[in-house]
Amino acid sequence: MEDANFIVKFLDWLMTFDRKALILAASAIGAGMAMIAGIGPGIGQGYAAGKGAEAVSINPKASKQATLVMLLGAAVAETSGILALVVSLILLFGNPIVTQEGAVIILVASALGAGISMIAGIGPGIGQGYAAGKGTEATGRRPEYQSNIIRAMFLGQAVAQTTGIYALIISLVLMFANPLVKLL
Amino acid sequence: MEGGFGPRVIFELPGGIPVTETVTTTWIIMAVLTIFALVATRRFDKVPKGLQNVIELLVDMVYKLTAQTMGEDKKAFAPYIGTMMMYLICANLAGLFGFRPPTADVNTTMALALLTFFMIHFFGMKRKGVGTYLKGFLQPFPVMLPLNIIGELATPISLSFRLFGNIVGGLIIMNLLYGALGGLSTNLGISIPVLQTGIPAVLHLYFDVFAGVLQSFIFAMLTMVFVSGAMD
Repeated sequence: MEDANFIVKFLDWLMTFDRKALILAASAIGAGMAMIAGIGPGIGQGYAAGKGAEAVSINPKASKQATLVMLLGAAVAETSGILALVVSLILLFGNPIVTQEGAVIILVASALGAGISMIAGIGPGIGQGYAAGKGTEATGRRPEYQSNIIRAMFLGQAVAQTTGIYALIISLVLMFANPLVKLL
Repeated sequence: MEGGFGPRVIFELPGGIPVTETVTTTWIIMAVLTIFALVATRRFDKVPKGLQNVIELLVDMVYKLTAQTMGEDKKAFAPYIGTMMMYLICANLAGLFGFRPPTADVNTTMALALLTFFMIHFFGMKRKGVGTYLKGFLQPFPVMLPLNIIGELATPISLSFRLFGNIVGGLIIMNLLYGALGGLSTNLGISIPVLQTGIPAVLHLYFDVFAGVLQSFIFAMLTMVFVSGAMD
């Protein structure tokens, strides 16, 4: 009956590889998974860009101010993409998991988990991009309040970033200070 | 890259207390700020000129920002906010001068966030009275008490990790980039580090200057908003 069980077969097959190969393979998947977070900033910045075009069409005289707010807001919205890139690059070039001691299955799962956790970046990316878009629109309407608008936008974006930062912390903990290995 | 990206231990105090790069860099920043303050505030004239102009502008800006964000009646917080902002900006820009930013250590950011946390509750109680303040935790319904407490505890955590995550992200990416460029120039057989001079400058501009100044500003702004929120 055991031959029919796909999961048992799969695990048996996995165990035919050596320890290092398994961890490296998991890191490869993790590095790819982390970059899924790029969806967020993409949508968010696209929205901001659209709002930028709208703001310029509403008030062509304020196009400089609106563009500045759009660029600043979009730069902040990029943060979660950059954090995902950090995790991805660590997994690829500075992999700390390969040299760690402990059960191979936990290390493999940690490498995967570190990548998957960064998917949370989608949320802050979209949210911050939305804020950037609204800030741009507001600047287009009332360019004289540009500094106040930028301040409110930055504050809100910083708070929206929080979950993405939590994801980064979990990801870094899984890679550098894995508490699960010691529990075994 | 051995041992991760944590701060190096510079020396150990008697009793086995390790002193890390974070602490020594903070000492350097403290020295720079103190010397700057001493030099800049000597010989004040009625009519400002030179450095005095810059200082007056700086102080004026901090007071204006505090009054605008916290309200005229809480202007007295300006010295604290200004000091914290100057320290944070220096700390975040330390990466430009080859130091490891002290804010890339969760101990620094957590300490600052805990200061904010205690300020929120101390000044909230001082302004409203302990009873009224504690009653605020039962709003809007008494059932919300655990949620309100968790929300209050989340403030310093999110505040410290926001700063830490942003700075450490930049730090790691710059480290990896310097490593990659070093490897590339060795492979190409260039003995002079040409590649390491030009290319990272743009990224330093984003990760250290833009993100660093922005995060210092955001930390100070959030502190002001939280403290004045607890007092109103």
